[in-house]
Amino acid sequence: MRPPFRSLPLLAAALLLTAGCGPSAPKDGAAPATGTAAAPAAPEMEADLKRTLAAEPDFYVFKPLAELPAGLAWQDGAALPEFADPNARKGGTFSYYIPDFPRTLRTIGPDATGGIRPYLLDYVEPPFIAPHPNVAGGAYAGLVASWAVGPDGKTIYYRIDPRARWSDGRPLTTDDVIFTLYFMRSPHLNEPWYNDYYKKYYRQLIVYDRLTFATVHPERKPDLAVRFGNWVPYPRHAYADFGPGWIERFQWRETPKLGAYELKAKDIDKGRAVTLSRVKDWWAADKRFFRGRYNPDRYRLEVIRDPDKAVEAFARGDLDLMPLNLPKYWYETLPETHPEVAAGRILRYKFFNRTPRPDWGLWINRAKAPLDNRDVRVGLQHASNIALVCAQFFRGDAEQMQTRSDGYGWRMHPTITARPFDPVAARAAFARAGYTTQGEDGVLRNAAGQRLSFTITAYGQAQRDLLPVLKQEALKAGLEFKLEILDTTTGWKKIQEKNHEIALAALSRSVELYPRYWEMYHGTNAYADAYTKDGQPSKVATGATPNPQPREVVVQTNNMTMTFLPELDRLIEAYDRAETLDEIKRLAAEIEQLIHDDAAWVNGWQRPFLRGAAWRHVRWPAGFNVAQARDLEEFFVHWIEPELQKETAEARRSGRTFPGGLRTFDQFKGN
Amino acid sequence: MNLPRLRLDPLTRKKLQRFRSIRRGYVSFLILATAVVLSLAAELLVNSRALVVRHEGQWHFPTYGRIHTGKEFGLDYAYEVNYRELQRKFAAEPVGKNWVLLPPVPYNPLENCHPGETFRPRPPDWARQNFLGTDQINRDILARLVYGFRNALAFAAAFLLLTYAVGISLGCLMGYFGGWFDLLVQRLIEIWSNIPFLFVVIIVASIVPAGIGMNLGVLLAIVVLFSWTGMTYYMRSATYREKARDYVHAAQVLGASTPRILFRHILPNVLSTIVTFIPFTIASSISALTALDFLGFGLPPPTPSWGELLRQGTSNLQSPWIVASAFSALVLVLVLVTFIGEAIREAFDPKKFTLYQ
Repeated sequence: MRPPFRSLPLLAAALLLTAGCGPSAPKDGAAPATGTAAAPAAPEMEADLKRTLAAEPDFYVFKPLAELPAGLAWQDGAALPEFADPNARKGGTFSYYIPDFPRTLRTIGPDATGGIRPYLLDYVEPPFIAPHPNVAGGAYAGLVASWAVGPDGKTIYYRIDPRARWSDGRPLTTDDVIFTLYFMRSPHLNEPWYNDYYKKYYRQLIVYDRLTFATVHPERKPDLAVRFGNWVPYPRHAYADFGPGWIERFQWRETPKLGAYELKAKDIDKGRAVTLSRVKDWWAADKRFFRGRYNPDRYRLEVIRDPDKAVEAFARGDLDLMPLNLPKYWYETLPETHPEVAAGRILRYKFFNRTPRPDWGLWINRAKAPLDNRDVRVGLQHASNIALVCAQFFRGDAEQMQTRSDGYGWRMHPTITARPFDPVAARAAFARAGYTTQGEDGVLRNAAGQRLSFTITAYGQAQRDLLPVLKQEALKAGLEFKLEILDTTTGWKKIQEKNHEIALAALSRSVELYPRYWEMYHGTNAYADAYTKDGQPSKVATGATPNPQPREVVVQTNNMTMTFLPELDRLIEAYDRAETLDEIKRLAAEIEQLIHDDAAWVNGWQRPFLRGAAWRHVRWPAGFNVAQARDLEEFFVHWIEPELQKETAEARRSGRTFPGGLRTFDQFKGN
Repeated sequence: MNLPRLRLDPLTRKKLQRFRSIRRGYVSFLILATAVVLSLAAELLVNSRALVVRHEGQWHFPTYGRIHTGKEFGLDYAYEVNYRELQRKFAAEPVGKNWVLLPPVPYNPLENCHPGETFRPRPPDWARQNFLGTDQINRDILARLVYGFRNALAFAAAFLLLTYAVGISLGCLMGYFGGWFDLLVQRLIEIWSNIPFLFVVIIVASIVPAGIGMNLGVLLAIVVLFSWTGMTYYMRSATYREKARDYVHAAQVLGASTPRILFRHILPNVLSTIVTFIPFTIASSISALTALDFLGFGLPPPTPSWGELLRQGTSNLQSPWIVASAFSALVLVLVLVTFIGEAIREAFDPKKFTLYQ
């Protein structure tokens, strides 16, 4: 599954600085950050940065500190509760696995979204302002000491924490901030998505002094600070030779980090394992919301390509932790009766999280006749037995999604429910679409003799066993599903190019206050010629004329249902402009209703919890984990008790048992 | 065209007698032949459709042909009737006029045998007639083995015909014409056979255009495309040898056309080479299909296949009946085929039967 919106603003390079990096270069004079320790930089990047600053004076603005608006409401989130256990023990080596050896140490650019990236960036590097994982809409200070939102509702003011240090000892300053925005907007980056994002949503950078700056954003948003303040800087002094060809140069380069862990070259065992080590005297070790996290001294990630083998390795004691979200592993491989589980040496956990989950479902391509007929789509919804999949394939572990925005709590539509599996209702809907006669093979046909048969395109092997269940059930409604299971890259490409009839797909969704619709449902993401304004094609629906017969399909967008409904587009645009939560909620409900009525997405399933097992020496805070955890280790709140580790190893030899049993944590249960 | 005459040929008859006298090979042949015949009639033995339904004085034979809906038998649904359910319903009726006769294994290879229960592998259960257990989505393993066997056989037969048609024709032509044609084709074959087969299958499997989909035909075409080369070498050398014989010259002098010489004169005389290869070709094509299915590049789900069962089995080692069934079946068939192959080779050994003793 490829993320649709990569974990948005979390982008930091976690490459280490190779010893004695570039030649010492003159300090950049354009930035007012006088007094910064001279950054050793090759002229290449610094010269280009200087040119860029001169060329874009409206974006990179330098002001004296005296011009910082007075009376700003500075906040640091300290009133919110901590979520880690401050008494967690530091130390030990934690063993876990990654499914593939990293193809690069870059966290941005080609191949950078692999299994190692969470450990180099997403889970480890603190952003300027971090969303609080237990309090929806709450935030706490990451790299900043405090922040403020300006009276215009569009500007975030940041005061960098003076303690913030890169892992090579250099302080974090606004030099790095300037570089990061230059980096993200640079054509040399080779990442159009980041280029676009940092151009579209970051309208201005105002630098006041070494530690104070502000960013200006296009719209007022109720959650402005976490929405746009949740980004990670890159170390300017380590990117002296950034420029054309940097992708290759930085493929395996170590760069300094701000987070608790770094990956040193000596800890890379090519093809086998990588080991993260905790930064010595990490600057944020005692900072509120960071203390009690990132506890093991070393974090060993062994490459195990086959998940079955990983579970076996865990049961053998090679790994400390194992997610067991798949029913097979939970009920068959490591059940209650497994000797280590029964002896209490392995503990099983079930934790109900509260977060938007991947939106699995059948995405119906409205552009392929007869799927443009709403009755056919309604019939498809009634003919897809997702409830059976949830109850019997996932053994009751999954539940059917009711709306597109399940997991967003109060932002959800209160009353819409998914159309249930019902062969009679499905046949009635198909009959309305003209499919009235049942052929000798049990498949419905219309007057022209066309069979009611569609191909479901899926990617990856995970759905191999699930799809035959849907196929078998659909026959009850006189519908034939043909199954096409491609490898992940090919399948995803086919879907993104809108060549599918029906796709079994999911987009991973960011933890945000409210859901997004534009990417999946706006007409301009389906057709390039969806709208015209003054005779020109328009990306905006409001005030433009919809094209009744659009033809130019837009590929590589997430509008995988090819939805183009002018009314919906206008609502989505209003939604994206909305400035208050009440308005957002009201518009979201209207949008959900339209999506439900249009029936181009068969509501799939979601798993409302995380579960897994850990050896008993792995300890967790009292509440186990945080509400928005999408992964057991995402917030690094666990730790290792060395005495217990010894005791467990001893017990495995002597056969000693401990109190075990399933530990369930349901304090965040429900949406 | 040649077969009737071949059967009358005393030499061939002798070879067949010799084959029959090799007990191991002959018994294997009988077992396999029985299995093939039975698999052709699989619908009568392993099927969710009933053999006979007696309903309201009417006879129904639903095995082949159109589906019968539930409504036709007084049930309330418009999709295909569940005959096991129907049997229970009729049995519960006070007047025993209606009855259903089900095949010995009353499941088809695609269906969920235990509706309403969770999907998980279940061990063999004779009471429920899951003689080899079920796979991870409650499908009967025996049913999948039987239909998988038939698919594998169909694949092997088509594979055999196609590769031999191409390989024999080209090999004979090479041997017969010799010279630059022979040289050129040999070089082409060398290049062609160096293309890594598995990679090509993987690539093609992922780019087969929509609408066609990966099916038996496409898979067959790919495998044949890369497998015909082996046969050409044997046919080429055999034809070279035969070409120099007097009967070929005689035929040429009589004015026989090239195809006639090749296929009516030379081919029958090199047939023993071909025949000895057949069992091994079948064995290798079954293994190839199984391997591709195992890797996920074979037939599209939910087609029953042995490779898919093996894949399931190896990822569900705590349910050993899956892997055991598939593995035993595969080993059994391959061993039988090998025994037959050995016997044929021995029976057709030219050292024992040659025209030039």
